[in-house]
Amino acid sequence: MIELFINAVVAGVLLGGFYAAVALGLSIVFGRLDIVNIAHPAFVIIGSYMAFYVNENFGLDPIVTSFLFLPVFFLLGIVMYRFYYVCFERTGQESLSGLAYFFGIMFIIEVLIILVYGVDYRNVQAPYIGHSLWINDWIPLGDFRVSLPYRMLVPFVVAAVVTGGVYLYLSKTYLGRAILAVSQDRVALQLMGANPIKVKQWAFGIAIATAAIAGALLIVIHPVEPSVGRLYIGRVFAIVILGGMGSISGTFFAALMIGIAETLISTFIGPSWAPAAAYGILLVTLAVRPQGLFGRA
Amino acid sequence: MASSLTVNNIDGGYGSVRVLHDLSITVDFGETVVLLGSNGNGKSTLLKCITGLIKPDRGEIILNVDGEKTDLVGKTPEEVVTAGISMVPEGRRLFPALTVEENLYLGAYRKFARKKISENLDFVYEIFPRLKERRNQLAGSMSGGEQQMVAVARGIMSDPTILLVDEPSVGLAPNLVSHMIGKIRELKEKKNLTVLMAEQNFNQAIKIADRGYIIVHGEIEFTAASADELANNEMIKQYYLGV
Repeated sequence: MIELFINAVVAGVLLGGFYAAVALGLSIVFGRLDIVNIAHPAFVIIGSYMAFYVNENFGLDPIVTSFLFLPVFFLLGIVMYRFYYVCFERTGQESLSGLAYFFGIMFIIEVLIILVYGVDYRNVQAPYIGHSLWINDWIPLGDFRVSLPYRMLVPFVVAAVVTGGVYLYLSKTYLGRAILAVSQDRVALQLMGANPIKVKQWAFGIAIATAAIAGALLIVIHPVEPSVGRLYIGRVFAIVILGGMGSISGTFFAALMIGIAETLISTFIGPSWAPAAAYGILLVTLAVRPQGLFGRA
Repeated sequence: MASSLTVNNIDGGYGSVRVLHDLSITVDFGETVVLLGSNGNGKSTLLKCITGLIKPDRGEIILNVDGEKTDLVGKTPEEVVTAGISMVPEGRRLFPALTVEENLYLGAYRKFARKKISENLDFVYEIFPRLKERRNQLAGSMSGGEQQMVAVARGIMSDPTILLVDEPSVGLAPNLVSHMIGKIRELKEKKNLTVLMAEQNFNQAIKIADRGYIIVHGEIEFTAASADELANNEMIKQYYLGV
């Protein structure tokens, strides 16, 4: 029982790290720019298929691939924001039309992937997939056997590093701070000498670039099919809100929390209940602490 | 750098609503010029034209830096800031969910100011020690007077040669207004600034004014060559003192 519990918590932390990678981009776009980009998980899936394609044809590691493709995703994000700005934001119609826009993008991405790769599950090969790190080899735990599968551990480490990088970027650079400020008062930001549209564009680029990495992590963790991104929409929005809307460290810890809650629930209650964890925690949190668990105000 | 500003015959406003009519003012290097007028007479609109937030329909706004003249009409706010003009906006317009220090860092966004950021940060903390004490507090959680300090300090962080201040007294208790006006004078002297300040609070504004203009319905009604002339003007008595 205790062994099961410890293993579930450990697995939950690792899973949560991956959730953080998916939520990271949304934490910037939804949490800081107030743009409801529900297509974000779809970009994660593009990242997965890109990793799959390169892995299948050239044998390159999926995570390395995602880092090589960061500039492409960055540009993709900029183009997507440009279009959104010109068509909706500039005319003040972003709330409803913008939502439809991102919905549309999500479906277009799904359909394109289906047309090219079909609806079958795809996976990747990497030397670390299929092996585990046994904690017992390092620390004597007596009767307990605690294992960390590398296909979870590697994504966790990558997610933590990327999250840390984005956190430092936003809090230590001028452009990063402008990203934090832009939705609070864009006129004031102009008076500081920053162009709010360029700031948002840059932020969107970074957000979509993180989706490339999250996509590679996803396909390392489990096989991917084109519509699997939908499973993440609600969960990831819940994480961003729990994390306090745009707080990067908050998003990371909220993601760990959801990861742990989900694995505990699927271990002890049943896997079909696991998706309810995110919403359950979100509901309770919003009732008690509307600014989110890690909100600043 | 010796900077001065000349506004020549501008018409401007919001869409089809024209607020400013053939308005001209000058602010010479090293002066503190006040723009007096009650609400809705176009003070803020004029400052917005200078900062590039509004494009005037007609006229020119000449920035003269050491003899080199640029017309600011048609420039973006970013370009105006880069040219060395900083504005402390009406209502402070801080980033409420960022800390005091993050607000100040954003003030130093323009490339030129980034090089001098630590020097300027020390400088504003020296002028406003309260901000140093509260530098990790969220700007939105501070009192009105403290927020105004942040707004003025943030304006200084861009290392301007010309400082525009829009109604620094709004919403402040009388003793704080007088403190704030004193601080603006101190900043001006220590940083060799040229200051254009829009104010409704006549009694406070003339304390630091070298000269001034009275703006009524978007036109300059009176040009005062000295603070005395402002103080003794009939129109001011009529508008402000109700005599």
